[in-house]
Amino acid sequence: MYQYTPFDTQFVKQRAAQFRDQLQRNLAGTLGDDEFRALRLQNGWYIQRHAPMARIAVPYGELSSDQLRMLARIAREFDRGYAHFTTRQNCQYNWIPLPKAADVMDLLASVSMHGIQTSGNCIRNITSDCFAGVAADEIVDPRPYCEILRQWSTLNPEFAFLPRKFKIAVSGAKEDRAAIAWHDIGLQLLKNDAGEVGFKVLVGGGMGRTPVIGTVINEFLPWQQILVYLEAIVRVYNRYGRRDNMYKARIKILVKAEGQRFLDDVAEEFKKILELDSDGTEQIIPQAEFDRVAAHFVTPAGVAPVAGSRIEVPADAPAAFQRWLERNVHAHQLAGYRSVTLSLKRTGQAPGDATDTQMELAAGLADRFSQGELRVSHDQNLVLPWVRESDLHALWEAARSASFATPNIGLLTDMIACPGGDFCALANARSIPVAAAITERFDDIDELYDIGDIDLHISGCINSCGHHHSGHIGILGVDKDGSEWYQVTLGGLDGSAISGHQSTPGKVIGPSFAADEVPDVIEAVLDTYREQRSSAAERFIDTVTRIGLDPFKSAANAQRRSTAKA
Amino acid sequence: MKFIDTARDPWHTITGEDGPMVTLTPAPHSLLTLAQWHSVRSAWPAGMPVGVQFPNDADIEDLADDLPRLGLVALHFPKWVDGRAYSQARLLRSRYRFAGEVRAIGEALVDMMPLLQRTGFDAVALRADQSIEVAERALNFFPGHYQADVNEHRPLFKRPPGQETTNREFNQAGSAI
Repeated sequence: MYQYTPFDTQFVKQRAAQFRDQLQRNLAGTLGDDEFRALRLQNGWYIQRHAPMARIAVPYGELSSDQLRMLARIAREFDRGYAHFTTRQNCQYNWIPLPKAADVMDLLASVSMHGIQTSGNCIRNITSDCFAGVAADEIVDPRPYCEILRQWSTLNPEFAFLPRKFKIAVSGAKEDRAAIAWHDIGLQLLKNDAGEVGFKVLVGGGMGRTPVIGTVINEFLPWQQILVYLEAIVRVYNRYGRRDNMYKARIKILVKAEGQRFLDDVAEEFKKILELDSDGTEQIIPQAEFDRVAAHFVTPAGVAPVAGSRIEVPADAPAAFQRWLERNVHAHQLAGYRSVTLSLKRTGQAPGDATDTQMELAAGLADRFSQGELRVSHDQNLVLPWVRESDLHALWEAARSASFATPNIGLLTDMIACPGGDFCALANARSIPVAAAITERFDDIDELYDIGDIDLHISGCINSCGHHHSGHIGILGVDKDGSEWYQVTLGGLDGSAISGHQSTPGKVIGPSFAADEVPDVIEAVLDTYREQRSSAAERFIDTVTRIGLDPFKSAANAQRRSTAKA
Repeated sequence: MKFIDTARDPWHTITGEDGPMVTLTPAPHSLLTLAQWHSVRSAWPAGMPVGVQFPNDADIEDLADDLPRLGLVALHFPKWVDGRAYSQARLLRSRYRFAGEVRAIGEALVDMMPLLQRTGFDAVALRADQSIEVAERALNFFPGHYQADVNEHRPLFKRPPGQETTNREFNQAGSAI
């Protein structure tokens, strides 16, 4: 894991001090609420339904057990005893009073954490593969590059007030577990025939009102030039992105509107930076700097390949252990090791939520089984990246008693959901009750297994924090005449292997449904799949692709009760 | 950073009753709109100080040939959260090596100070309700930054050990943290 240098430590402390100064001026009345808003957003403080929401950055999803304990402590002492992990690998609180905000920032700074650029119209926290550095299918470890990008984007003075938010995701594996095509910039690390490392660069992806898949702008950019190239893209966007209409302000709209001209502008700007600017070539990353950063991401001391290792399944192990091995345990680069997902999807808790006690328990599991290291996944779970195969049974027993062992990773109930209208001031409808109703309806693990691999994504509004566009089944909360309705889409793809390495937005299957119809609609859609699939091996998404939407539409429409009358 | 006291500022705009005057007589320290500058640039006397107020939605490249004749470029923030002028200032300094004054006008707030300074502004006409004391404090929260900027051309990773800190006078955070 990256360890802060004295410079980094000083930097986040000073950022906390700067924020305290701004907060005090706001509380004293010399900094108006409207002006303070943009400043607090760039430190992760929103004003939500109940209190400010605080979004804490977990850079590229890497978290130490000590950091997780601090998140638990903040939940306990400043919030109501829980926190929420997001699709962007961050951590959110909902109940911290604003006057306490600076104290929370100081505590976070003490464990090398902060909320810098987790909101606002700036370059947001960079996301990556939750299995970075351990994935069996890894081409290049993305973490050193992510850290270099984190430093470049942090308080970059030219890009602090862009037309709109700006999200970058980096993947270094064969499978895209970071949904890179759905980002403002998506970076795929590659090796060329000569074995040199570079980035395939995508630009202009995004969800929201207008879902767009990113366009490839560079097939292979040598890694040394990445900061110059990003500066070129973001500068063109800062200068020419629309600012007259916030719904048309993301870079995807500029890329769509300008087409080839946008690509040409970036190419020309890139060239000019290198040829003309006083500091252009200074931003070429030297090998020594890469090596310095990469040294933070080596295999932890005490971890070494174990020859001849295999997973021991005790003779009396219950079927649940076998299922957990199948769903929650993942292939690893090192012989004798696995990464393990701690499921944050279980009955009675909102997807991605964890209590302070659960966070303490997860930190303990990380210390005992995973070198004190965890990851936050894009699917809103926690991951232990360094687990010995010989420890799996002991881990399972410990995880089960801490309610982390639901063997549902990749299944229907491992759904993505935003906090929705229960917490979020932007939401049109609630997400959590819909997620809960579906989780309760499908509480039979055999049935979940029979349904198999599927991505269910729920957003409480068109801002798409719950990534409904990319769900095989997407549910979107909409507001009509002051009440909650839900639009259902099918066939969205997030770029992962079960999505066929494709990215595309799902298609709406008809007018919105009433909240109480949604679980029936989902059940009808899944029943249709099980009737129509060519074999038990054909996945839901493959059946949808093969037979089209019509059979699913009629099954879903047959569930209308309140909406049938309208 | 120079804080502009409008009453003592030698630079003056040329405004008639109905807005900027189209016909004008060259006078030292005139701060012209872009349209005014275009109308007089061919006749402007060599060596007479002149400045231009440049809109944030125009291409700063178009001013490149005129820069050697300009003593001041005033870049406009129609709203303080509109960050286009930061790119304009950075290009003026890093790409065109403009050595005259780059001034922030419009909605210029104290909390913009670090961004203004690092992108190449050396003067600011703060909005009337802003405090110079707070603005000066805002300039000194950080000992240094990760990226290169117009004042420090090397990113952190290119600075030799011991020179990571570019601002030794920063406001040290209290012992509380």
